[in-house]
Amino acid sequence: MAEYFSDDMIVCRCEEVTVAEIKEAIRQGAKDVVGVKRRVRAGMGLCQGRTCEKMVQQILAQELGAKPWEVGTSSARPPIRPISFGDLANGVVE
Amino acid sequence: MSLVYDVVVIGAGAIGTSVAYHLADRGLKTLLLEKGDIASGSSSHCDAVGLICDKQPGIDTKMGQYSIDYYEELAKKFDFDFEFERKGCLYVCETEPEFEAASEYMRKQNEDGYPLRMVENKELCEMEPHISKDIFGALYTPPSGCIAVSPYKVCFAFVEEGKKLGMEVMTYCDITGINLDHKTNAVESIDTNYGRISTKRIINCAGVWAPEIGKLVGIDIPIEPRKGTNLVSEKCERLCNNKILEYGYMMSKFDGINFKRKVSKLVEDQNIAFNLEYTKACNLLVGGNRLFRGYDTRTEIETVKAICERAMRFYPELADIKCIRTYSGVRPFVIDHLPIVSDVDSVPGFYICAGHEGDGICFSPFTGKQMAHIVMGESTDFDISSLDYSRFVK
Repeated sequence: MAEYFSDDMIVCRCEEVTVAEIKEAIRQGAKDVVGVKRRVRAGMGLCQGRTCEKMVQQILAQELGAKPWEVGTSSARPPIRPISFGDLANGVVE
Repeated sequence: MSLVYDVVVIGAGAIGTSVAYHLADRGLKTLLLEKGDIASGSSSHCDAVGLICDKQPGIDTKMGQYSIDYYEELAKKFDFDFEFERKGCLYVCETEPEFEAASEYMRKQNEDGYPLRMVENKELCEMEPHISKDIFGALYTPPSGCIAVSPYKVCFAFVEEGKKLGMEVMTYCDITGINLDHKTNAVESIDTNYGRISTKRIINCAGVWAPEIGKLVGIDIPIEPRKGTNLVSEKCERLCNNKILEYGYMMSKFDGINFKRKVSKLVEDQNIAFNLEYTKACNLLVGGNRLFRGYDTRTEIETVKAICERAMRFYPELADIKCIRTYSGVRPFVIDHLPIVSDVDSVPGFYICAGHEGDGICFSPFTGKQMAHIVMGESTDFDISSLDYSRFVK
């Protein structure tokens, strides 16, 4: 699938990161999803990679000659969905 | 294949990348080893500022000021943009006793020539229109003493600029042993998953993991991981103009400050010190705290609640802004709050450059430059003997 991506295609919509930028991150040494994220912000936006992570994995797999499951995922961190700081402050912690 | 280097640096965080860059800049054949990716440990799980006003008066502040000014020089010199920006910092004092304590700190810093000043409630509210209107005042540090950078871009910048000078990098490197000369105990080589690497000099820049590297040469390095947590907001309007810290931050960082805040038990137990900054990507970073939890960097929900509870006291408008992510990292804590930047008498050729606690990003350029002086056998830019490892050798 990744071979059909053109370089100017936007992969991460939240942070507006293109295929070319992700390839450049890989050229700079990124070997996994987190490495790409740290270099070009793909997956750092509002949806936290829910939309683009699969595509980032595919580009990594293609560029590195790896299997998609070998290029990792973003670290799991709360919150599951965006929640206001006010709700977090008032929430009950058990 | 024979791998031979003048010097091998271990750890590609804010300290190791700077040290490696500065050594390569001095013409040494330099190799940087990293067990994961560049900036994958503490240097990407932190905040994004360098300050003088969170330092103790004396050498701590002096190193901070040196580093801040040197960052500006590097930002001009480097092609790689690490998002350097000068900004002001406000240490907000909730009550009059906090304001008095902060004034005392200001006087000490003024004596040493740092232009910190106190601002009262009215001026504070003008500088920060969104802050709670009943905050007593603040300690203001002008942009001469406060900067913002992207912490992981700092690491990438040192690596990319270092490569131009011939520096080499091996990531995902496991170090299995360090071999010493039987007679002199001097450094000879390192064994790794990439094979044996010959070198006469090793710089241990592994931060919270520096003690593990120390064990390989039989020395004890007294660094402990001290956890911190930050919350990231959705992209939003600029809520604050300066870096904001509460005066309680000093209490969470240093011992011996005899002062009690009126906060909940949760905030107290979690050792929360509110701080806030607005990033170049238009997110807010909301922190933070200091806890000893070993190497566990999972986010704790109690910490998240406690940070938010404290944040409401200073910036009530945060109530309607959304949090999209949390992250936790570990700082390399040393009991006297000063890093170890030093050679090691018992192991010739082995150097330690670690233990910067929460100041690794701030001290990165300074430390790299001084370590290069030490390795080259030159005198440092000013007396840093208080950073010597010998202070822990009985």
